Amino acid sequence: MSNILRQHAEQLFAQELEELQKQDTEKRPYMWKLSPQAVVTYLMGGTLKNGFEIQPKYIGNRRLMEIAVATLTTDRALLLYGLPGTAKSWVSEHLAAAISGDSTLIVQGTAGTGEEAIRYGWNYARLLAEGPTPGAIVETPVMRAMKDGKIARIEELTRIGADVQDTLITILSEKTLPIPELSSEVMAQKGFNIIATANNRDKGVNDLSSALKRRFNTVILPVPDNMEEEIDIVKRRVESYEKVMDLPAEKPALEEIRRIVTIFRELRSGITADGKTKIKIPSGTLSTAEAISVVNNGLAMAAYFGDGAIKAADLAAGIIGAVIKDPVQDKIVWQEYLETVIKTRDEWKDIYRAFRDL
Amino acid sequence: MSIHILGIRHHGPGSARRVRAALEKIKPDIVLVEGPPDADVILEWVGHDDLKPPVAILVFQPDDPKKAVFYPFSEFSPEWQAILYARKHKIPVKFMDLPMAHQFELRHQPAADSSLNNSVVIPDAETLRRNPIAWLAAAAGFEEEETWWEHEFEYRQDEEQVFDAITEGMHALRTDLPLPYDREEQLREAWMRKTIRQAEKEMYTEIAVICGAWHAPALAHMPKAKDDNDLLKGLPKVKTAVSWVPWTYNRLSYTSGYGAGINSPGWYEHLWHHPTDDGTRWMARVARLFREQQKDISVAHVMEAVRLANALASLRRLPRAGLEELNEATLSVLCNGEDILVKLIEKALIVSDKIGEVPIDVPRPPLQTDIEKLQKKLRLPQTADFKDYTLDLRKENDLERSIFLHRLELLGIKWGDRYDVSGRGTFKEQWRLQWDPSLSIDIIERGSWGNTVEEATNSYVKYRAHAADNLKEVCTLLESAIPAELDAAIDLLIQQINNLAAATGDVMQLMTVLPNLVQISRYGNVRKTDAALVEGIINGMITRICISLPAACTSLAEDAALQLLELFYNMNDAILLLQQDDLTAQWTQTLSYIAHNNNTAPVIAGYATRLLSDHRQITGAELVKAFSYAMSTANAPAVAAAWLEGFLKGSGTLLLVDNDLWTVVNNWMNQLEQDTFTQLLPLLRRTFSGFSKPERRKLGEKAKSGIGGGPAAASVEVHFDTERAEKGIPIVMKMLGIKS
Repeated sequence: MSNILRQHAEQLFAQELEELQKQDTEKRPYMWKLSPQAVVTYLMGGTLKNGFEIQPKYIGNRRLMEIAVATLTTDRALLLYGLPGTAKSWVSEHLAAAISGDSTLIVQGTAGTGEEAIRYGWNYARLLAEGPTPGAIVETPVMRAMKDGKIARIEELTRIGADVQDTLITILSEKTLPIPELSSEVMAQKGFNIIATANNRDKGVNDLSSALKRRFNTVILPVPDNMEEEIDIVKRRVESYEKVMDLPAEKPALEEIRRIVTIFRELRSGITADGKTKIKIPSGTLSTAEAISVVNNGLAMAAYFGDGAIKAADLAAGIIGAVIKDPVQDKIVWQEYLETVIKTRDEWKDIYRAFRDL
Repeated sequence: MSIHILGIRHHGPGSARRVRAALEKIKPDIVLVEGPPDADVILEWVGHDDLKPPVAILVFQPDDPKKAVFYPFSEFSPEWQAILYARKHKIPVKFMDLPMAHQFELRHQPAADSSLNNSVVIPDAETLRRNPIAWLAAAAGFEEEETWWEHEFEYRQDEEQVFDAITEGMHALRTDLPLPYDREEQLREAWMRKTIRQAEKEMYTEIAVICGAWHAPALAHMPKAKDDNDLLKGLPKVKTAVSWVPWTYNRLSYTSGYGAGINSPGWYEHLWHHPTDDGTRWMARVARLFREQQKDISVAHVMEAVRLANALASLRRLPRAGLEELNEATLSVLCNGEDILVKLIEKALIVSDKIGEVPIDVPRPPLQTDIEKLQKKLRLPQTADFKDYTLDLRKENDLERSIFLHRLELLGIKWGDRYDVSGRGTFKEQWRLQWDPSLSIDIIERGSWGNTVEEATNSYVKYRAHAADNLKEVCTLLESAIPAELDAAIDLLIQQINNLAAATGDVMQLMTVLPNLVQISRYGNVRKTDAALVEGIINGMITRICISLPAACTSLAEDAALQLLELFYNMNDAILLLQQDDLTAQWTQTLSYIAHNNNTAPVIAGYATRLLSDHRQITGAELVKAFSYAMSTANAPAVAAAWLEGFLKGSGTLLLVDNDLWTVVNNWMNQLEQDTFTQLLPLLRRTFSGFSKPERRKLGEKAKSGIGGGPAAASVEVHFDTERAEKGIPIVMKMLGIKS
């Protein structure tokens, strides 16, 4: 077990990638480590010809992954769009890992991301000493990806200011990055492409200009279709987390996961699972990712402060934290849900008590 | 001499193309097509300029039109292309399936009571049920047999040996799959073989046989003629009739609820016209559709979408991009991942709302001829998509349209729905019309009532009037017969109403239908109907009601009383609407009797008292007396409460405005003793809770301010300048739109 808190996808799944590469007989696009078919297999999971088991990374509609991979084989960039916590960054990381073997060429988009974070910056000491020379340039992940023919990732594209976003247009349409100071340019090698992610729930985002939008193919990642799918996702992710974090707690019972997923799904959709009761919807997104972190949190609580087995009380605080994002409105929503839905379920008595005790 | 078996998929554009190519190569001297030989006589119409697919052959049993079968054809149906080829080259073409004359009798399903969808059987449905192609598709590693078939056969460009391959594949399936013995299928295939032998006997040398792929092997390997003849001996037979009817693409698709059909007729048509399209042409059409919807789509978008579709196809190891890949590319490139716009393509392009045409001189049932004649005359074309019409009944043409539509509605031919028109006036009607090919069955069925719409509707309504045994049904009929201007039937209906009204002991039934009749007599005028006809019945009915109503108001349970109360309400409205003094007098007399009868249900007594006060029959001190009497503490609380509820029914606002009523209630309240008030409070609360919140608030304010403690203030005479006032009148008239 390494001491790294969180390994990159290409390290964590190095063996899978290697096996896939060995078994892969299909035609590969230039600079791709795997063929498109193999990339899809890597994402969706499956069994190789030699019996090697590939874990599924994305649980959901296979067609979406096919569109994503097919997009990257054309020269259009890929925009993964969706609610927070629908595995956008996760998919983007694994795509980059499978295609380029490198998921580290990443630009985190924020309101403060400047042009120099996307195109290139200057090492000012050298700039002063030598004047504008190639050596004084600070390369960005995008520039490196262009030079090496790899996939660059841009997280939260819509958080970046509109003027900075638009610097991507030249990169995506001309596939070059001009450096006027040196009267030269970086021309992208084959295999270069960009995967961007953006979420459609946030306020205060900068919508893409239509010129930029035109250069992206959009794939919307939906919230999981059904309960079983969501439970599956939470279970897998929690198990892998346990492994990484060395938690001494027991595996969470499927029943507990089911309860959390039920609570989250009901609050997200505004209707109880049996379809009989309408409920108010809180302001948070209550994504699958949040359900995962609630379970992880509960595991840690159980391991260090409890008896190792996860109990309703270990989860209660996490759930409330995830649901109540607005201290006034959400609290009312939660109280109503607690008293009208949770209280009425006989087998949920323990969790109701746990919530009341908080 | 040789027989060429061409196994096809119904409505497959690839099959159609191959059939056409094959026919041109083998140059047959006779073409045999899977289909009902009953319809051989109308095949001569194929090739006629005005017979435009999608159309269907309708085979039905004239004495029981519910038993009917459609054989739909689109331009890209292989059968259609085969027939077209034969017609063009002037060689004989024949259907070779088991005649429907036998099949109708063989199907012992209860066709009479089943709904349309069950009785209309599209050929080959049973093949789909067993779904043999799914086996082949699974063997080829495809999840959906449709996709497999499409990529394997429909999209394929090279023609060589495909028919042999299909026959072989099906042969393998038929020998390997443990299918249950199916007599109908045996008979059908025996008949097909018989037809082929017949053609051989008639010395045709090159025989082309077009049949569903499933049947191909059974025709390729001929058993002994005797076996087939034995099988076909002594089949029951009925008389059948056939006709061409227009069909729609929507009906060809699965979305219409049919078992057998195709998902995407619009896409298939595209494939038929542009077999080599790599998606560019399709995407261009999608782009144009989006632009019509005010969504900006550039040429670059189209290019990118085509490239993505082809990349997807190669990722999925398909030889070319199919509809699915194109749709996904559209979603991702053109719609930014939002699938709402994709729904638009689905409706407009993938299914498409095309409707076929049938020449006017194709023989068809007389009723249908009449309907089509009227449709043409009134300019109400049959459309696949719905179309809205707002009819202004003051206009001659619109009135005729309305009469026509009302008649069809009465006949039970559901072409359109009527909607409520916004705005006032009874001279407008709103219709939404959408033609459904299956209506032709209804038309044939109703054809037994007469040869023209008017005749058929009249006799149909008469029949229903005779059969009806309650007033409500007959009155509803009358209500719809009047706008349909069925004079003969209306006379009968009125007579029938009179008879039933005389015979009925149920006063509630009379009261239920009366308001509607009054409406007809008051407002029927726009339609130039003779309202006097109805008035006679109304007078009689009101008299009958007035006589038996008092008795009907006694000894009622609470819920029954409330029901009757509603009728009272409507009845009173109707009387007010009629404005006939003698009838009003009769009515108030009855009310007064009801109000004073101690046995009347209290809620009704209360309401009757109120109505009397509204009619100014009880006023002032007398009203106060009646009120206090009913509310006296000696009455059981429940009785008093019910009385008050009836008395104040729906009068929240009335109490606010009508100071007389207010005074009565207010004065009575003021003189109540403390104890009595406490006792009555729950009752009052119950009554007032029926009012709306703002009404209650206003009432409270009014009570607080003490207005109306005395009698209502008389209107004050104000001295004004008549001359100056008159000057304003023309302006006011103008504003109100009244021409002086």
